[in-house]
Amino acid sequence: MPFALTYARSPIPEPVTSYAYDPDQQLNVLADGSPAVLDVAMLLAAGSTTSTAGSKTHFDD
Amino acid sequence: MTVLILTCAEDVTADMVVQRLNADGVPVLRVDPADFPRTVGLAAVHTAGGPAGRITTDRRTTDLRDIRSIWVRRPGRPGLGAADQPAWTALESDHAWYGTLRALPGVRWMNHPDAHTACRYKMWQLSVAESVGFTVPATLLTTEPSAAERFAADHGPLVCKSVSGRAPDDPPLALPTTAVPADADFAGVAGSATCLQRRVDKRYDVRLTVVGDRMFCARTDETPAGLDDLDWRYADPEAVRWRAGEVPPDIATKVTAFMDRARLAYGAFDFAVTGDGTWSFLECNASGQFGFFELVAGLPVSEAIADWLGAPRERDR
Repeated sequence: MPFALTYARSPIPEPVTSYAYDPDQQLNVLADGSPAVLDVAMLLAAGSTTSTAGSKTHFDD
Repeated sequence: MTVLILTCAEDVTADMVVQRLNADGVPVLRVDPADFPRTVGLAAVHTAGGPAGRITTDRRTTDLRDIRSIWVRRPGRPGLGAADQPAWTALESDHAWYGTLRALPGVRWMNHPDAHTACRYKMWQLSVAESVGFTVPATLLTTEPSAAERFAADHGPLVCKSVSGRAPDDPPLALPTTAVPADADFAGVAGSATCLQRRVDKRYDVRLTVVGDRMFCARTDETPAGLDDLDWRYADPEAVRWRAGEVPPDIATKVTAFMDRARLAYGAFDFAVTGDGTWSFLECNASGQFGFFELVAGLPVSEAIADWLGAPRERDR
């Protein structure tokens, strides 16, 4: 096994989010149509702005 | 004049910038290149003045010559998922897409793909960091167990980190920067390129986000004794608190020099700060996340990005 993988662990699960992308607004929106970015508490709770969010498809930045 | 944003739909951090550009009345076209050519179209004609034509989504059409800036945030790869000749179709799509965008005259990039790619290579960026005067921990990339053993004897204690910054995906695993035990068996180094680095006895971490010539510094509280996670990205969020910090003038000068050498318009620097105040350069992420730091430390990064993207092209000033 490659040495680095000695230190591998289970990935952090991708955030469960309560918003969906709206191609008209080009923004993610909540169920009431408001932009998700206005709900700071929700974003922090979801963890969708952290450095490991999106690790499945992108780098951990 | 339009700002072209290349990112995936679920990138809510990009929304923070889109929202700001909308408020400023700046036209935006947000596209995930992974949707090209499935639901995103391109028609580009070579002309003496650069490509002419358009990008079309199911909601918008943007004239190529109306693009003032391009933000490469978290794009997927063009041409994914083709049924016939998928690898070839992806390559053809990539060349059509980025070849056209690269040929647009006067467009401002955050960041240009060449600069972004170069900055992904750890040894290259460590060399740039050293050249501008940063303190860089001793680092070894190797496939030779004996070299790893010698390095551990000379520079231990060590940490192990990914060479590329990318986590394994088959199956998916996380690969945080992790302390290497003193009695580690380095035989596995022969199995894959390995990055070992002298462990910095840090007092706190810094994430310094740079947008053009503006800098936004976030720092942790002092690292709690006994915290197992060296890598704050994977630590318990309750154990790592972030707040706005100050950038020493000499560090700011070196950061500016790094950005110039690396030809970056955006960069997210990670430093480990030791008890004597030394800022040790760990890495610069050319597409580092900023949303979390804006939300918890009150740093107006998205505003700065929107301002940079919305500025006129050089030739239009």
